[in-house]
Amino acid sequence: MEKQIKRKKKHLTLRQKDQLKGLFFVAPFIIGIALFFAYPIGLSIRLAFGKVENIVGFQVAFVGIENFKRAFLVDTNFIPLFLQTVGNTLLKFPLTVVFSLIIAIMLNRKIVCRGLFRVIFFIPFLLGAGVVMNQLRALGVDREVLSIMDGKIIPYNILNYFGGDIVTAVQKVFGIIVQVLWDSGVQILLFLSGLQSISPALYEAAKIDGATEWEIFWKITIPMISPMMLLNIIYTLVNTFVDYDNQMLGYIDTWGFGNAEFGYGAALGWIYFAFVGLLMAIVFGVMKGYMHTNEVEEVKKRGRKSRKVFTIERTKKRSY
Amino acid sequence: MIKIKWFKGQWIHITFANIALYTIMGLLVCFTALPLVYLVSTAFKPLDELFLYPPQFIVRKPTTQNFTDLFMSLNSSSVPFIRFTFNSVIITVGIVAATVVVSSIGAYSLVKFKPPGGKRIFDLVLMALMFSPHVTKIPSYMVVNKLGLIDTYWALLLPSIAVAYNFFLMKQFCEQYPDELIEAARIDGSGELRIFLKLVMPALGPAWSTLIVFSFVSNWNDYFSPLIYITSQAMKTLPLALQTIAGGAATASIGRAGAVAASGLLMTLPTIVIFTLMQSKVMETMTYSGIKG
Repeated sequence: MEKQIKRKKKHLTLRQKDQLKGLFFVAPFIIGIALFFAYPIGLSIRLAFGKVENIVGFQVAFVGIENFKRAFLVDTNFIPLFLQTVGNTLLKFPLTVVFSLIIAIMLNRKIVCRGLFRVIFFIPFLLGAGVVMNQLRALGVDREVLSIMDGKIIPYNILNYFGGDIVTAVQKVFGIIVQVLWDSGVQILLFLSGLQSISPALYEAAKIDGATEWEIFWKITIPMISPMMLLNIIYTLVNTFVDYDNQMLGYIDTWGFGNAEFGYGAALGWIYFAFVGLLMAIVFGVMKGYMHTNEVEEVKKRGRKSRKVFTIERTKKRSY
Repeated sequence: MIKIKWFKGQWIHITFANIALYTIMGLLVCFTALPLVYLVSTAFKPLDELFLYPPQFIVRKPTTQNFTDLFMSLNSSSVPFIRFTFNSVIITVGIVAATVVVSSIGAYSLVKFKPPGGKRIFDLVLMALMFSPHVTKIPSYMVVNKLGLIDTYWALLLPSIAVAYNFFLMKQFCEQYPDELIEAARIDGSGELRIFLKLVMPALGPAWSTLIVFSFVSNWNDYFSPLIYITSQAMKTLPLALQTIAGGAATASIGRAGAVAASGLLMTLPTIVIFTLMQSKVMETMTYSGIKG
């Protein structure tokens, strides 16, 4: 009897074996993340609550929430800049997601020179990190490309009729559209690969059942690309927040590197990223219920939470 | 609706929807292509046109003077130009290969084997997504320094391999791969490695080709990491070398402005080539949908 128990302990079950295998293969990634993300982040937290006393040995003295107090109570530049950056991002990111989805859907249709169009839409991203885009932005080309102020597109008489405020507002919207277009290369690509992974059979079935384009879009396309949607929203959020022309990051940099106040710089960074974190948590919370992973998962989920997600399973059952 | 006969007996349908589609696409393309037009024409601009204000998009008197200037200044430095190219190529290719292997195997086993603590790992990845690499650069430098890797290829390779975003991307795609196919292969007696290489990876083609493009572009253009990890001239990568030799973006000296413009064009060519090559692969349809419910 005893022997049997011992034997049981020695041998792992199939499931445990699987888990071990899994752990082994994730290990390289975990090590990398621990070394170049978790540890540096830990160091950064220590900095945020401390003050560097000696740069050579990197000795940090604990000063509590002194740095955070300073950001909110003493620093007069921080809060206005913070609000401005947040407002800018909240305006740009939904636009980027919607625009890239529309463009991706257009690119997914059977059109002439599809490949060429795709390359062109992706080019701003290819140039993105380079010198060129910085030059263009520095010259203000993105804001002035769609200029209506100079009266070339719309005559002056009409502009005068509308009044200065409206013209400036419209101008601002146009400027944002160009910026959004230049920033949405990656999102378009991700949406495209999501759209490509939808089986044509689903569309065919829906068409045979007499669904309109509009219904197909909301009931097949949107649920099927919801994982890509989440990925895209996260990417866009992070991207607009850590963009190089983001003034907030520049401000943090001047404190952290320029003025060599590592502690204060780190604290500013943490306040900023706490906000990003909050936003992402909201996105995840909202999207979680609407995620479509795959059909089997969907059936499992449906047992618990019915009616929330439109599943393909259900349409099939109904139609047969 | 008008029908026009095209070659091979195909018909082109000109409908209102099609006209609208092409008009909108055309307008959008005009705006997105602007940076490229600007890049190409600037590289061929003579010096007097470079400093025109307001800047002109189209070059009036094209010249190749900028390229000769660039190669002159490159050849005058102590390290041959080919060395920088070699550095860049080896590092970028290394990072791309490693990150594709690590993220795809990792994401696949996290999703399908469900190891203990998998949820925690995923939470860590999500957290890592939020932070710009920017923030962890200085502490990362300390890690690399402690490992004694400063001024080696490893210093540039290692920190860029485990990137949270790549992992997240692979995970999103892996989740869509049906368990049934894996189980069927197991029942048929196939090993895990074979399942991964022969079944999962081909089906995840769009995912890893997207990954290759992203990873290649960002690492090829990256000049911040070599700036902090590399100290000797011979180990510099192409972007850093071009920036320093051609005067640097920040301190762009007037005489070298042409060389900067030319180097900008040369730097972007490989990324455009890579994307054009991978483009069709990225868009390939995933084949898993053959499963019946």
